[in-house]
Amino acid sequence: MSRDGYTGFSRGEARTRTATSLSFETQGPLDKFMRLPWGFILLIAAMALTGIAMLYSSAHTNPAESHLWRLQLIRFGVCFVMMIALGLLPLSWWMRLAFPAYVGTIVLLVLVEVMGFSGGGAQRWLRIGPIGVQPSEFAKLAVTLALARYYQMVLQPQTGRILVHLGAVAIMVIPAALIFIQPDFGTTLALLASGAVVIFLAGLSARVILTGIVGGVASVWPIYQFVLAPYQRERVDTFLAQLFGGATNALGESYQIEQGKIAIGAGGLNGRGYLQGIQSQQDYVPEQHTDFILTVIAEEFGFIGTTALLIGFAVLLGWSLYSAGRSASWFGRLASAGATATIAFYIVFNVGMVLGLLPVVGMPLPLISYGGTAMLTTMACFGLILAAHMHRDEKLTARGLF
Amino acid sequence: MSNKKTADLDFAFSRRTAIAGAAGGLVWAGLVARLFQLQILEQEQYRQQAEANHIKLQLAPPQRGRILDRFGRPLASHRRAGRVSVIPEQTDNPERTLAQIAELIEIPDDKLERLANDIRYNRRRNAAFVPVTIANELTYEDFARMNVHEAEIPGLNVEMALTRSYPRGRDFAHVLGYVARASQDDLTRLTDGMTGKEAETLKTMFRHPDMRTGRQGMERFAEEWLRGKPGYRKLVTNAHGRIIEEIPDERLAPMPGRDLFVTIDSDLQRVAIERFAGESGAAVVMDVETGDVLAMVSTPAFDPNDFVNGISSANYAELRDDSRSPLYPRAHGGVYPPGSTFKMVVATAALEAGVIKPEERVHCNRYYHFGNRTWHCWKPGGHGSVNMHQAIKGSCDVYFYEIARRTGVDKIAETAHKFGFGESWVLGMTGGRSGLVPDREWKQRVRKENWYEGETLNFGIGQGQLGVTPLQLALMTARIATEGKPFKPRMIGIGPQSDEDQVLDAPLDQEIMARMKAGMYGVTSEGGGTAYRSGDLGLGGPRLAGKTGTAQVRRITREERASGIRKGENIARELRDHALFVAYAPADDPKYAISVIVEHGEGGSSTAGPVARDILHYALKTDSRRKPAYSQSASLSPNLSDEGEPT
Repeated sequence: MSRDGYTGFSRGEARTRTATSLSFETQGPLDKFMRLPWGFILLIAAMALTGIAMLYSSAHTNPAESHLWRLQLIRFGVCFVMMIALGLLPLSWWMRLAFPAYVGTIVLLVLVEVMGFSGGGAQRWLRIGPIGVQPSEFAKLAVTLALARYYQMVLQPQTGRILVHLGAVAIMVIPAALIFIQPDFGTTLALLASGAVVIFLAGLSARVILTGIVGGVASVWPIYQFVLAPYQRERVDTFLAQLFGGATNALGESYQIEQGKIAIGAGGLNGRGYLQGIQSQQDYVPEQHTDFILTVIAEEFGFIGTTALLIGFAVLLGWSLYSAGRSASWFGRLASAGATATIAFYIVFNVGMVLGLLPVVGMPLPLISYGGTAMLTTMACFGLILAAHMHRDEKLTARGLF
Repeated sequence: MSNKKTADLDFAFSRRTAIAGAAGGLVWAGLVARLFQLQILEQEQYRQQAEANHIKLQLAPPQRGRILDRFGRPLASHRRAGRVSVIPEQTDNPERTLAQIAELIEIPDDKLERLANDIRYNRRRNAAFVPVTIANELTYEDFARMNVHEAEIPGLNVEMALTRSYPRGRDFAHVLGYVARASQDDLTRLTDGMTGKEAETLKTMFRHPDMRTGRQGMERFAEEWLRGKPGYRKLVTNAHGRIIEEIPDERLAPMPGRDLFVTIDSDLQRVAIERFAGESGAAVVMDVETGDVLAMVSTPAFDPNDFVNGISSANYAELRDDSRSPLYPRAHGGVYPPGSTFKMVVATAALEAGVIKPEERVHCNRYYHFGNRTWHCWKPGGHGSVNMHQAIKGSCDVYFYEIARRTGVDKIAETAHKFGFGESWVLGMTGGRSGLVPDREWKQRVRKENWYEGETLNFGIGQGQLGVTPLQLALMTARIATEGKPFKPRMIGIGPQSDEDQVLDAPLDQEIMARMKAGMYGVTSEGGGTAYRSGDLGLGGPRLAGKTGTAQVRRITREERASGIRKGENIARELRDHALFVAYAPADDPKYAISVIVEHGEGGSSTAGPVARDILHYALKTDSRRKPAYSQSASLSPNLSDEGEPT
């Protein structure tokens, strides 16, 4: 089976790559370690360390929070090692894990409904031993893997039918529904969005996509009216009001947005300097060490610093997408692209929310915000992207469920 | 065959990856555009909002002006004291905050409930930033402990505050009065006649824990002079309202109240109080040339420091129920029968009326019959035949019965008013009383009865309905000492002057006054004088001239007079007569006038006289009336008042 017909590689190149691929088993583990994309990894580390520095800035004046940066540093260290380990894991292993992980996540989500505990008004948390986890966070990765695994199983040259994608939609909707009733609107949306990207990349016909978009727009009002809980509706109202410059309750939801915008706007071009942010240092922005950490960066480092951060994310995501495109297997492509989309939607939802472009949905900023579960999910996604990159030529033949 | 299909699929994937990437790029560009809008285009607006966010203007109370004596010694000033308060807007649960505070310092249970209510009240009243005081006057240990815990307890505020302080304690209680937190009544009184906005500002200011208002005495009289104008503190606060730092701003600073100088010599005051040696009574010393009040003693007294932070009801009840009445301002608010000290007034009235010549003699065999009753002279056996000089010197009652009867009540009353009786002298204090100078019209109006001639006889020896204050007795003495020159008493050296220009300028005949002086000299310096022993000031020259008096606390029964039980241990203390003495010194060149009353002291010559003599001795020796410290600045007063005037 020749690949040069569609990759556009010259034959020589293709041979070299095939040879590399063939000599895979003969390489020592150290060689493989050295072949990791270190530029990508170092950029991840640099951004995570920036996040920890910002966490220190936002919390150091508050005795109850001043130790959090150390905790986050330890978490990052652990997750960093995990990411590299995951990156060295052959795709066949990932594929074998995909469905069990998916089923396990569904079980956990059901358990959350049955015996989970609440935090922040929604029942999201599950206690496993000494730590509390949010299965909805793991669901993002599990759904991505399951979708990729599903398409790897069913996507054949002869199966171009729409019906194939119905199975993918089912895989995506089941956990999404479970998360929605927690209720966690933001995560549901992020899950559906990144799932939709995977289905899109898997080749769903353009006609269906257009129909979907029209249907989605049409369902906005019914969802608002009949599906959303009152507090969620209030958030949307607040969002619309501030977006169009209307009066809002300054001490309720919009207080956070308003104070966040003041912090961002006051940052100006260069920012006030590290540890110098007035809004940030004096606790004006609630949740500024978690979801609203971007306000600290924006106030202390200004437009330049914030744009640099967004460019950093863009580089990470662009490289990931590029890497996904180079993968030989559908599993590798879709899993990597799905992980990329998951992180991208984290960022878009968070930054859009903080900048007042989206409703407050409670979404952390990957690598930057304080929080263990989000850090774990993000780093696992990067691990998957690394694995797909490292094993882009691996031939996956699995057709069964495992 | 499958290769073609696979190739199509792969190509589709690449194309869709590109589309996804482009879409992502568009979203990213949108985010950066939004950042550009917020951080570059709208930067100024958000910077201003950030400023407004964290800079707060807090009402700052002015520092109250001090009250200083004539030599600049502080009588009312400030001292620093640790204070614990709760800022209502910083706690969501007042009970819990108070419970946490109560673990560190002692707060009575009944007070806890009241404080929680106060905190809620301030929140409702849109004054959630006004602290509610929990405890004042912290000990050093308590202050240090509270400081350590300040950050942990929401709403807790620990600070050093300036508290009104009266370094001379009881000495000036009745002159200065005291300050206290403004009550609802105080606010109503203080905002009387103000516009709504002014009144609201004043009320807000008085809610500040540092603010006090004068409740009595000079503190109340000179309230506006002393108060100053409130300003603002420019504070940097965090989101919870906790103060991070203060930005000094001269233009916003409060305008402190002005200092007030009184004419009193606080050392003379102290000596006078000590001289009473625990007896109840009053003394007023005046400079007869300038009208300066040099001492104004009322003893016993309360400690005004106890009132500054609110006195407990138990302590107040103790003061109120004390049989020696420490709350009673005797010197200007105590009304007594003047007794024989009034005889100069009666003699003056008689000479003015022309009903008797100075040398005309009246025979005193101790008894004076009028109508069907008999009046007595104090001296067993009588004085024999006496002229006016001898009658004053020996305080012969019969002589004064006779001339009072001849003069008539209305004429005596008229003359009494010329000496300052029957009028309330404000002098910058509150609580002054006018006493009572009775006449026919008064009797008819108040008692609905005709005046009985017999009452005129009692009037003639300063008894009966007649009531005077020690301050009025000092004024009378000063008028005699100055031989009737117009006399303007004052106690405020620099400060607000009382509205009505109270001055004694009714004409008094100089020759008559000279006769009165001679009579008073006789009392202390000639044989037969009732206070012969008190005349020498012990300064090797200057003598004093004075007059004794006894104020009856109750009528003497015929049986008592017959049995001779009138004095000493034989009757209960509170029924014994008051002893009075008025004097001026030096006798040949009067500088000081004094009146002294020793309650239940029995004898004017035996108790009140020596007190007056010792006070005058000290005043002359130390020259209490010497130039006051403020006279220098008084000549520069236009400048001074320019500085002190609120703009």
